[in-house]
Amino acid sequence: MKKVAFKTLGCRLNQYETDALASQFQDKGYELVQFDESADVYVINSCTVTHQSDHKSRNFINQANRRNKDSVLVVTGCMANNAKEELENRKEINYVVENDQKTSVFSLVEAHFDGEIIHPSKLNADLFSYGATDKGFHTRSMIKIQDGCDNFCTFCIIPSVRGRAASRPIQDILTNIREVISHGAKEIVITGVNIGRYEYEGYQFDDVVEQILNLEGDFRLRISSIEPDGFGEKFLGLLNHPKMTPHLHLCLQSGSEPVLLQMRRMYTAKRFKEIVQTVRAKNPDFNITTDIIIGFPNESEEDFSATCDAIKELNFGHVHTFKYSIRKGTRAERMPNQVDERIKTERSEILRNLSDEIKVNYRKSFIGKTQSVLVEKIDGNIANGYGEHYIPVQFTGENIEKNQFYKVKITDIEDGSDPVLKGEIL
Amino acid sequence: MRSHKVIEIRNLTSSTYVIRMEKNDFTFKTGQYITLGFSGSIDRREYSIYSSENDNFLEVLIKEVENGLVSKKLKRCKPGDYLDVDGPFGHFSLEESEIGRKKFLFIATGTGISPIHSFVETHPEMDYQVLHGVRIEEEAYEKDSYPNGKYILCTSREKSGDYHGRVTDYLMKNPIPSDTVCYLCGNCHMIYEAYDILEKQGISLGPIHTEVYF
Repeated sequence: MKKVAFKTLGCRLNQYETDALASQFQDKGYELVQFDESADVYVINSCTVTHQSDHKSRNFINQANRRNKDSVLVVTGCMANNAKEELENRKEINYVVENDQKTSVFSLVEAHFDGEIIHPSKLNADLFSYGATDKGFHTRSMIKIQDGCDNFCTFCIIPSVRGRAASRPIQDILTNIREVISHGAKEIVITGVNIGRYEYEGYQFDDVVEQILNLEGDFRLRISSIEPDGFGEKFLGLLNHPKMTPHLHLCLQSGSEPVLLQMRRMYTAKRFKEIVQTVRAKNPDFNITTDIIIGFPNESEEDFSATCDAIKELNFGHVHTFKYSIRKGTRAERMPNQVDERIKTERSEILRNLSDEIKVNYRKSFIGKTQSVLVEKIDGNIANGYGEHYIPVQFTGENIEKNQFYKVKITDIEDGSDPVLKGEIL
Repeated sequence: MRSHKVIEIRNLTSSTYVIRMEKNDFTFKTGQYITLGFSGSIDRREYSIYSSENDNFLEVLIKEVENGLVSKKLKRCKPGDYLDVDGPFGHFSLEESEIGRKKFLFIATGTGISPIHSFVETHPEMDYQVLHGVRIEEEAYEKDSYPNGKYILCTSREKSGDYHGRVTDYLMKNPIPSDTVCYLCGNCHMIYEAYDILEKQGISLGPIHTEVYF
């Protein structure tokens, strides 16, 4: 039996696409092994959103090649689009597959073992024809509803590597979800590059969410990363639906209005705060997590303070911080007043400490409350999973099963900057 | 990416010019931008579309940037040259439902007038006023193309305009009715300041109402 190993970098969409590819390889008789084991096929689903992502992607390419020089090494994902020529010139990489041909990675590898060398450019281009994800790396079932982005934020390379916004037909989405629910999926996570820009035959993002929530079955719905301008009143009205999880990853990027304008974001900090207030008015402990870019060109001390103030004010459950790095071809590449790397590092540390403190306080507020935990990992009688608010919970019990919900009363919290909540099964 | 043949170059000042290209089958929504560069070149820049949705040609308004790579080269292009056009992009656009019903104020600085020009050329029937901020009158690009009384020129470095000062000064001294729909296009500082002023005057602005020029 041939062995295949995957390494995924970056966003939820990449994770979904890897899950689908991993399931397809296993369905066709491959054994899935860890990336640090020897395999016949290595698939690296790369990311290029920052310098660091490029660095990590290159590092994993080197590791795969060291592990088995005779393996078939496939590099796909956003770096495959953005640095195609560089990657194609590396002899150790057999195939560089762009995002829109990623669905065909399996047929490419199969053809390779049959002695047929297909150039990836000859593969079918299809953004949505991924199969099931049931043998992937996640208990949660990710469903792709959209790809690409037309926003062209000045810092972002993604529109160049993922292409223009495209939406999956709503009936395909609903069929896909019914299918995964019938196979036992308990948590559906909708993913895409910019899911709020969903538009298909008059259906908008809010309509997709409504239709998913109306499906029958014992499941809950999680929205992954979304832009603050990506939804309307209808969506906000659905937040207290019993199947909707009280968590949104709402990308703020900066708390400074001038910086947001220069980033060409489609909202103001003021509007962002209004959204958070509206959401929390419906559910005071709603978990809002976010992304922040540190050191965007022209970011002054005053701008940075505005970001810190926003983080303190909005009580985020988690803040994912990125140091700004120049992406070739973006508008921000040509902006003057790039921020010195040392200043970015200093600001990152300040922000990280601040967000850790806020995260711990947020999680502590759950002590004494109940979470419905979807178990993802079991070690003896210790179970780990995520509650509906997307906070990690650990509890003990007999005969606990993976991919099942358990009502858990939160009793304690671990120490540290990313503490797991401890609880007792009810 | 499509290749468009250049029809003419119209120099408006020593540094600002309009490139008119064949439209071919290109369609866009007024207010959107394209990226433009010489055919086959990797160097491309974003430019708002200056012409109307209904014109049978495509125009962009370009200011030559000192030490700029693309704007300098484009200035030298000639009729018959081919330029690569990608797009259209952007969400700076009019709400169809408001066009016949509302009063509009379009505020621009410098070449930020470009998408505004496209707005009013596409929908000449709109009830609108253009407020254009420049340093000197020479930068009032093709101001005669706007009907009488529709265009207010603010000049900050000379007294030749309708108002001497910046557009933000004008807005503070001339409050506008709160039911006016405002669109802002130009440099970040103008937008940021105008945003605050308008908000204090009771005007709410959504993300589609601003376009930053760098």
